Amino acid sequence: MNSLQRIQPQVFPVEKVIIPEALSFRLNNGVPVYLIEAGTEDIMRLEFTFRAGQVKEYLPLLASTTNVMLSEGSRNYTSEDLNRLLDYYGAFLNLSCEKDRAGIVVFFLSKHIEKVLELSREILFRPVFPEAELNSLMKKRLRWFMVNREKVQNLAIDQFFQSVFGKRHPYGHKVVEQDFNRMTPAILSDFHSKYYTPDNMAVIISGKIHEETTGLLNNYFGDISSKRIYTEDSENVLMGEKRKKVHIKKPGAVQTAIRIGSPTINKRHPDYPGLKILDSVLGGYFGSRLMKNIREEKGYTYGIGSSLSSLDLTGYKVISTEVGQKNYIKAIDEIYKEIRLLQSVPVEKEEMAVVRNYMSGEMVRMFDGPFALAESFRSVWEFGLDNNYYYRLAEKIKTIDPDEIIELARTYYNIDELYEITAGAK
Amino acid sequence: MIKYDRFCLDNGLRVLVHEDKSTPLIAMNILYDVGSRDEDPGMTGLAHLFEHLMFGGSVNVPEYDMPLQMVGGENNAFTNNDITNYYLTVPSANIETGFWLESDRMLELDFSQKNLDIQKNVVIEEFNQRYLNQPYGDAILKLRPLAYKVHPYRWPTIGMEISHIENTDLEQIKKFFFSHYAPNNAILALTGNISYDLAFRLTQKWFGPIEKRKMQTRNLPVEPKQNEERVLTIEKDVPSTAIYKAWHIGPRDSIDFHTLDLVTDLLAGGESGRLYTKLVREKKLFSEINAYLTSDIDPGLIIVQGKLMKDIDIQHAEEAVNEVIKSLQIRNGLNDEMEKVKNKYESSTVFSNTNILNKAVNLSFYELLGNPELINHEVDAYRKVSQKMVIEATTRYFVPSNCSTLYYKSTRKDK
Repeated sequence: MNSLQRIQPQVFPVEKVIIPEALSFRLNNGVPVYLIEAGTEDIMRLEFTFRAGQVKEYLPLLASTTNVMLSEGSRNYTSEDLNRLLDYYGAFLNLSCEKDRAGIVVFFLSKHIEKVLELSREILFRPVFPEAELNSLMKKRLRWFMVNREKVQNLAIDQFFQSVFGKRHPYGHKVVEQDFNRMTPAILSDFHSKYYTPDNMAVIISGKIHEETTGLLNNYFGDISSKRIYTEDSENVLMGEKRKKVHIKKPGAVQTAIRIGSPTINKRHPDYPGLKILDSVLGGYFGSRLMKNIREEKGYTYGIGSSLSSLDLTGYKVISTEVGQKNYIKAIDEIYKEIRLLQSVPVEKEEMAVVRNYMSGEMVRMFDGPFALAESFRSVWEFGLDNNYYYRLAEKIKTIDPDEIIELARTYYNIDELYEITAGAK
Repeated sequence: MIKYDRFCLDNGLRVLVHEDKSTPLIAMNILYDVGSRDEDPGMTGLAHLFEHLMFGGSVNVPEYDMPLQMVGGENNAFTNNDITNYYLTVPSANIETGFWLESDRMLELDFSQKNLDIQKNVVIEEFNQRYLNQPYGDAILKLRPLAYKVHPYRWPTIGMEISHIENTDLEQIKKFFFSHYAPNNAILALTGNISYDLAFRLTQKWFGPIEKRKMQTRNLPVEPKQNEERVLTIEKDVPSTAIYKAWHIGPRDSIDFHTLDLVTDLLAGGESGRLYTKLVREKKLFSEINAYLTSDIDPGLIIVQGKLMKDIDIQHAEEAVNEVIKSLQIRNGLNDEMEKVKNKYESSTVFSNTNILNKAVNLSFYELLGNPELINHEVDAYRKVSQKMVIEATTRYFVPSNCSTLYYKSTRKDK
């Protein structure tokens, strides 16, 4: 009946990605702008990014609160007006505050660019931080915080950052209930005037770029000047805590959250591409060793993964999972077992081929379409790197050999140096 | 405007192809017309458990994921009340590997006891992670059986209880496969860097030989009209009290669907929605509040849910919600707000359709609803909603005797 021979089709190598270069120029006041022309639809992604993330804050919540309050009222618009207008023009505003950078990203139909630029200028450079809005926002955020603190995964990751970076560094300090009472319009305004300045800003635009785009940007942002406030970077030193194992009790929790990892190199280091590959083998994709062993062979968890992240001052790697109460110790043992295996036994040729090809496919997805392109651009640009980073990564994916993986695992996954954070009942 | 072609194989497989040369990738989506509504009340969660088993190897392919990763592909799947949906994206040169994998698991799964045992555990951990180990995670488990008394929407996709998943055996799994998985119960969509000719040739080659199967006929109990207000109160150790309200609405293809969708946007579409503006911003009764349609194919629900601020009386908060809903029956100012949510809907549709995977999933779903052309008409249908329609729908559906309310009370002193 079935005459078809169901044999596996030929596997074609994934073609090398060609990454379109961003076009760069400066506004009249010197602000760098990067343009990435891509896509078929008349839409745009517009990002304004500042070095105004957590790393700059001297009080917990200061960076994120300043960021969220940007759209809570400006010189010319109330918070309601701003939100209503953005919605009216079909624009999506994302306020973003990360460990190093903060800013806004707006997605919109290109035809509304003027309105979006005008509103963005209000949001970024004319916020008024009204007290009533701030108070109600802090009450609201405190409620969210209370809910989040019920989740073992949040308890574990907060402790992880504190253990790894130290509680005195903004990368590591944990938020506590009292922090929600410390925000005032005056300190937000001060933080804003120091860090949301043109000389601290870059603009990344992707999508259908029109001829008038550059002129419009200059009209709205080219004449804003920096006040030249002298800022001193905090002298806080990154210093992990001595205790490597911390358990946070959460009575009644059905699962235990596990976070295992440590500080590591960031994208600027030449070993980073290789480490990225090692991370994939260990826990970076569905077919990874941790997923295969702990989910697909043992059924201990719904999901487990590892990730490698770059920060400006350092980097970190972390293995994350939630495991039922009765199996979590076994899961931790298996995690260490997998790391030791990578340090001692060469990865077989076939598994290497799967990882190489999977990662090559990932690279195609990373540069598919205007939004992905902008994100990929940003994530090297902020480290002072360019597309050569991706070409080096692509090359490494093709050429890395199993001995190098062992070497990297020994250098960067020293088990004695890993922090082991758990949160759950017990 | 999304252009696509459609054809149907002799074995009943329906296929949609949309070519988009701007991407180096192809998305492949297979929708099976089976969801948790097709389960036996004594054995719920099977459709979703089955989704997990679909990755455990098929009759000629020992492992699903590895060969796909080997060609640079990526995949996932989801199950809901109505459908089970599998998708992958792959660099275009390797699309045939996708055909090989997907057609083989449609042909026949490798039913193994070991895989079943492991995936049962994985699903139980998923149940724990999503529903039991999260504050308010079980609210939906409580709300469904309050709103539905007979229709299978009364249980969630994950299953009514863990024991149903634990008790499933291989025989039931096999029976489920052969009565729900078949070319004549599936829709295939291909979008991205693929021509119609190639799509047609590969579909014929790989899916053509799979024979039609006799499917279980769908004969679902109809939910009787609700005639009394339903209320359930539960008390839990959560940080603050929450409230969930659900009203019955018509099926996905009823004429009111777009009107009600627009109503949820008026109420809770972004920061400028009425519930947010009035109850979070102005009156400070809630820390968060949302409104949405369940968008089920059979008659679904419109749900409003919110978490209360500290020391707010729950009756007072509920009255305030009802008041905001009632305000939609007054014309004053409604027109501008409607224009706003319509613009936002149009722009979110444009954004969603820049992604080949979204296009593949949407085309498949609209084909299931009976008309793939809906992908190009949804914005129009939404645009055509008038003030009069909003007022009528609000008056018709938001009545107490049509409503189920769950009070999720915090037992904490300091709430």
